[in-house]
Amino acid sequence: MLAALLLPSLLAGGTDAPPDAVSLIEPKVLYRVNEASATRAPWLQANGWRILRSPSRTFIYRVKGPAAALAAAEAFAFGARALISTDATGEAAFAPMLDFLKSLPATEAAPAADFGVIDDKTDVSAELLNLLTRSNLLYKIERMPDPALNINVRVGTPEYPLAEAKNPGTMAHKIRAQLGDDNRSLRIYGSETVVARLLTGSGGARVMLLNYSGRPVLGMRVRVKGVYAKAELRAFGLDAAKASDWTTDATGTEFTVPELRAFAVIDLN
Amino acid sequence: MFLQLAAAPALLGAEETPSYKIVTPFHAAAEHPYRGQVSQVHSETVIDPATEHVDKPSVDRMLSAGMTSLTGQKSERDAWASFFNAIDVVGIKVNCSGAPVMCATPEVVGAVVRNLMAVGVKATNIYIYERFLDQLTSVHYDRHVPQGVNIFAIETPRGSLLNYDPKVYVETSFFGEDDTRSCMARLVTERCTKIVNLPNAKEHQAAGVTGCLKNMAYGDYSNVARSHMREKTNTLSFIGTLASVEPLRSKVVLNVMDGIRGVWHGGPFSEAKKYRFYPKTMMFGTDPIAMDRLLLEMIEAKRKAEGAPSLFNRSMDLIDRAPDAHLDFHKNTFIREPGHIEYAAKQFDMGEYDLAKIKIAHVEA
Repeated sequence: MLAALLLPSLLAGGTDAPPDAVSLIEPKVLYRVNEASATRAPWLQANGWRILRSPSRTFIYRVKGPAAALAAAEAFAFGARALISTDATGEAAFAPMLDFLKSLPATEAAPAADFGVIDDKTDVSAELLNLLTRSNLLYKIERMPDPALNINVRVGTPEYPLAEAKNPGTMAHKIRAQLGDDNRSLRIYGSETVVARLLTGSGGARVMLLNYSGRPVLGMRVRVKGVYAKAELRAFGLDAAKASDWTTDATGTEFTVPELRAFAVIDLN
Repeated sequence: MFLQLAAAPALLGAEETPSYKIVTPFHAAAEHPYRGQVSQVHSETVIDPATEHVDKPSVDRMLSAGMTSLTGQKSERDAWASFFNAIDVVGIKVNCSGAPVMCATPEVVGAVVRNLMAVGVKATNIYIYERFLDQLTSVHYDRHVPQGVNIFAIETPRGSLLNYDPKVYVETSFFGEDDTRSCMARLVTERCTKIVNLPNAKEHQAAGVTGCLKNMAYGDYSNVARSHMREKTNTLSFIGTLASVEPLRSKVVLNVMDGIRGVWHGGPFSEAKKYRFYPKTMMFGTDPIAMDRLLLEMIEAKRKAEGAPSLFNRSMDLIDRAPDAHLDFHKNTFIREPGHIEYAAKQFDMGEYDLAKIKIAHVEA
């Protein structure tokens, strides 16, 4: 999976970004402590859906400080060709993340998808893709419905009316219900600030976890569909991290990531 | 791995009961004795309501009277020895959500520890525990127990799942939340052989009251606040479901309800002193349903005396979601679910709900 091996690079000072580069926002969490909401869930400012929507484009992050490291990890996890424009603090944060990304073994696994979304390039679909990504519902963007998938979402059809899609959270819940949690290829438990990616193939799988919160997530539980025998956990900023509380059942494999800082990769065999 | 689908039927006026998946490798131990029996001990001298000073000798007398009355043993030591022995690792599940004032009274916790040690339980095998460190440490239980006794917060820091057992959990979706699991504390599944459940006598804005069941359920699991995010909560079915799961259900061998102080409105916290009251009472038993049933009576009677709406009043007219609404006893943040006690009784047979069948031993200490 070539795209997953793309490494982000720094945009040298004084250098202009390519004119056709797509600007991305700073990846982070916006905590809405004074704002009434149904779930009190923090708002993730994430770019995965933008990258998936335009996989052949070049992207640019303009971020300062430690956000450069998370930007690099996000670009890597979603297979983006990305440039990062940052300050000196950001460069210092970027360097160890780049080293970490370079240390990861190559994989031929490809992004897993539990359903498809036909992207009509509208703002409504954009926000739906955003919510689906943040909800860790694994989709692939398609031009035509894929008969291999049980669910193909096309906004504006009787099953997925435009009016309903204008509340993307509700639409995401509907798709999740149609899919059924037990049928999802990947579940995570223990944080609302983590976006997960799953690559599968060749008898193995790679789980990538992006933590947008800026503080460690402790004891995150991961469930992957399929039975695997072992996991190798590589956690950014931590030496000798190991997955714990390993369990398998008829349909899935579960393990705990004891500490997740900005990024972690778990290879399952 | 034991897996149970608890898709409960609609009961007690609940509009729709969520589907629960219970995952645990543990099985039930022997049934607890003293079903439907509660020893209710009163002491006029145990607290001075004006200063809230607690009289330690009165606490000691209450514990002694309560335990001997419950068990029928002649001595306090024999009463405790009928539950605990030297090889036990004992958790004391305190409630500190209204700390530092409204919590398991330190003098009570100290007395429980002394009685456990008197029957041979090692100090290092005793764990005074609660979910959150800031609440727990604010009480300073360490000043009331011997050195070596563990004072342990499960969720340190808040949000950490490291001290929860990922192999023992209740899974349900209330509103489409991402994390659908509530995991039991490892202290319960892996370390303790027995637990003393030590709730307070409090009203609860969502659950109606917070007694034995609530202290077991929401005090021993992760990710429970999701049950009461909206006016209509899922506390009716969630509390009993959590409390019924093994090994928690079997390991809680003794309930001591601390009603020296109480909260009749605005619970489980105690921001307004005007809503605290002083029943000067403690209850002892093994039956969490029977004890919570009596707690319902106690809180409902106090609310009636104060002119507050009944715990069972489900009118939306009472609901006010403003942050300080709970400071007005005419309002409430949620529709209360005091029916969670009857639900647990009927759904999981966790004890005796029928007042006519509950045997109360009234003792004055």
